[in-house]
Amino acid sequence: MILRIFAFAYRDWLFARRNIFAVVEMLFWPIVGMLSIGLMGNFLRLERSMQAFILTGAISLGCLQVSQLDVAYALLHDIWSKSVKHTFLTPSGVVEYLAGPWIVGMVRGSIVFALLAGFSVKAFDFYLPGVVPTLLLLAGIFLNALLLGSLVCVLVLQYGQKAEISAWAFAYLFILIAGIYYPVTHLPRGLYQIALLLPLTYFLDYFRGFYGHSANLSYPLLKGFTLLAIQLVLAFYLLSLSLRRARRTGVLLRLSE
Amino acid sequence: MNAVSVQNVVKVFPNGAKAVQGISLEIGEGEVFGVLGPNGAGKTTLLNMISTLLQPDSGDILILGESVLRSSRAIRQKMNLCSGNANFAWSLTLRENLRFYALLYGMRGAAREAKIDALIDAFGIAPYADRRFDEVSTGTKQRMALAKALLNDPAVLLLDEPTVGLDPDIARRVRQYIRDYHQRSGCTLILTTHYMQEAQELCERIAFVREGNVLALGTPDELKAQVKGQNMEDVFLELAK
Repeated sequence: MILRIFAFAYRDWLFARRNIFAVVEMLFWPIVGMLSIGLMGNFLRLERSMQAFILTGAISLGCLQVSQLDVAYALLHDIWSKSVKHTFLTPSGVVEYLAGPWIVGMVRGSIVFALLAGFSVKAFDFYLPGVVPTLLLLAGIFLNALLLGSLVCVLVLQYGQKAEISAWAFAYLFILIAGIYYPVTHLPRGLYQIALLLPLTYFLDYFRGFYGHSANLSYPLLKGFTLLAIQLVLAFYLLSLSLRRARRTGVLLRLSE
Repeated sequence: MNAVSVQNVVKVFPNGAKAVQGISLEIGEGEVFGVLGPNGAGKTTLLNMISTLLQPDSGDILILGESVLRSSRAIRQKMNLCSGNANFAWSLTLRENLRFYALLYGMRGAAREAKIDALIDAFGIAPYADRRFDEVSTGTKQRMALAKALLNDPAVLLLDEPTVGLDPDIARRVRQYIRDYHQRSGCTLILTTHYMQEAQELCERIAFVREGNVLALGTPDELKAQVKGQNMEDVFLELAK
């Protein structure tokens, strides 16, 4: 199992190294997002804690997007190179298939986080509340990335290549509902109820509690990790079902054509 | 024990196409078995079901005694497939692609690298081994596909039109590689092809498939006698009518 996880990590790492888009994803969009939010905060003369609060949204989005893309790319790279059938001909399971790229995603996500946070400290007087809250936020973001990436793979196996747009859309949609630049209590009622079902909501709220202005959700870490555990098990189960269905309907072979 | 036992297998696709309509076959260990038939006959569908990439609607397939429905993961460790017009990760080199699949088959360290080197040499792709997959010729890609199919020393090797689109000289070399590997390893080999000469050269027994059914089964000589033909092309033309 370890060797197979390493195999998928090895391939994903090579893809990331040789693909100019991977560099753009890691540097260009996250930095543009962070700069625009930081400069807007300066213009509005936000107090330091409020500036840190909204910058957390921009930094988390960059980190989440980069790390979940790696998980989604596990299947998308196979589809783009028409090699799906050769990969699923090997004795690999879905856990190995996603775990390898997820490891690379965590490395890339950590680099993005360090770059954005470091730059924000210099340029916008940003500050982190401490090592433990930061590590807990990162753990939450990376586990959410695994969840989102798995869901992208489920959709692509169900609906074919037309569903690949979800790889770029999901992170934005989820973090918008999870309260990217605002406490989730500011969302319309329906969206607020949905936000309470998203694990990311609780990790952002926990972290932002250190800056003030949080939604004061009770037991955010407990709820965040519990929701993640339940939803990850569900996502992996759905992925196994989708893969079985793809073998039954011939979708797995069509994705190789 | 037979290497492959296909038991009344049926496959109907969601669009209603009846690709395989109750095929049963017994393929012995070490046998070179051919599946011939016109386009759309169900050859590739049958091979895909044997490979576990496609699940039968009914019936079962036993590979070395294990069911594709219940033990597909264990079967995949002992089997491999090479198809025509094969594609692999385009931004990886041939060596990196082979290393990736070798890792997936659980191969470790120096033994893995030695195996990759040996296959690169055997298939004559050493000059291109460190080039990206999308930078090499179709013939080189096909030889890499064969090298990939032999990484795990498969007990059952499936070849789906392995020489399609290749120049005659490269196709001849590929056939020679297949023959040599079969003699050396004693593996069971199942081949689909549109080239009758290839079927005649390689196969000990052949099943002729049309509209998802086996129309005829036997050695090339038996099939020729059955249709009173001179060669496999006569067999094809007669049975495909």
